[in-house]
Amino acid sequence: MISAFEAVLFAFVVTTAVTTALLRDVLAVIVVFAAYSLGMALFYAFLLAPDVAMTEAAIGAGVTTLLLLLTLVKTVREDEDRTFERPNLPALVVFGGLLAVLLATVSRFPAVGSAEAPAWANPAVTQYYIENAFTDAGVENAVSAVLAGYRAFDTFGEAVVVFAAGVSILIVLQREVFTRE
Amino acid sequence: MSEDGNGTAHKRETDGGSDSPNFVPTDGAESAVSVPDDDEDTYVESQVIMSTVRVVAPFSLTYGLFLMFHGADTPGGSFQGGAIIGATVLMVAFAFGIEPTRAWLRNRTVVALAAGGTAVFVLVGLIPLLAGGRFLEHHFYVDIGLIDTPKWGLEAIEVGGVAPIVAGVVIGMFFLIAAGWPPEGETEVTGDE
Repeated sequence: MISAFEAVLFAFVVTTAVTTALLRDVLAVIVVFAAYSLGMALFYAFLLAPDVAMTEAAIGAGVTTLLLLLTLVKTVREDEDRTFERPNLPALVVFGGLLAVLLATVSRFPAVGSAEAPAWANPAVTQYYIENAFTDAGVENAVSAVLAGYRAFDTFGEAVVVFAAGVSILIVLQREVFTRE
Repeated sequence: MSEDGNGTAHKRETDGGSDSPNFVPTDGAESAVSVPDDDEDTYVESQVIMSTVRVVAPFSLTYGLFLMFHGADTPGGSFQGGAIIGATVLMVAFAFGIEPTRAWLRNRTVVALAAGGTAVFVLVGLIPLLAGGRFLEHHFYVDIGLIDTPKWGLEAIEVGGVAPIVAGVVIGMFFLIAAGWPPEGETEVTGDE
């Protein structure tokens, strides 16, 4: 049903995710979290979503790790006597309940690549994009056609949000320049 | 901005009772976490890191540019491309020191990337709207004979808009965090705005 590669990747992602939550040393957390992001990027690539995989690899494993490391350099690491966090029982109960609810829905998911999956079998949306993206937008990557063509207004909003985030950081830090002139 | 002379120059500790809105903890004896001295240089020159980055950076920059320019026809796109281009600069800064990189890539460049990208995106969208079309209507440019396929409209907002915004904000965010709080070499901002 699932290949050995998928099984190993799944075990790797779950292990790194749990380790990220349990480790106490912040530097170790950042390193393990980067490994987790890399595992997720491979997962997305395996699930035929290369665009998402590249975003996860570039932002999740790359930029976020560098920014967190830099923040760590700018602050002070406390020496830890313990390697792992003691699990918080109430949090564990809440987490277990949420996990049970989420896992209960998994069996109802359509198989990966199934022709009956709603995202695939919807002729008004998905099939329309697949059939008309090239003639309408003139690009071969249907994802780009949706992002910059059909849904360009949404992308415009997202781009402005990223720009506003940069401006907000300047305001919060009460600075007027990104770099020293 | 903070040169208005309302604070003592290069003052590091906040006075007791000051209602300043910044996040610098007062240096109480019981304070567990202290802010390191901003003048302290955390850069460590490493031959291994510098050599690695020297080899990897051209490839990652090329890969980012490829994703950006070729995203319309292959997986990838300007968001990923812009992020990788920004990450390349971060990598160079980590290897060769943040301060030299910051001096090399002036504030003007970072602002031009982020604000210029937004301006390009807005302009590409607004021109058809002002000429009687609809916002971001790429076919408008085809109809007036400026371009032969709407692909170039998509490319304009991807290459000219999204990628510079993402690269600029990533680089700017990195330099801002590197500058620390309070900003290096600047007077600490006191309570009154």
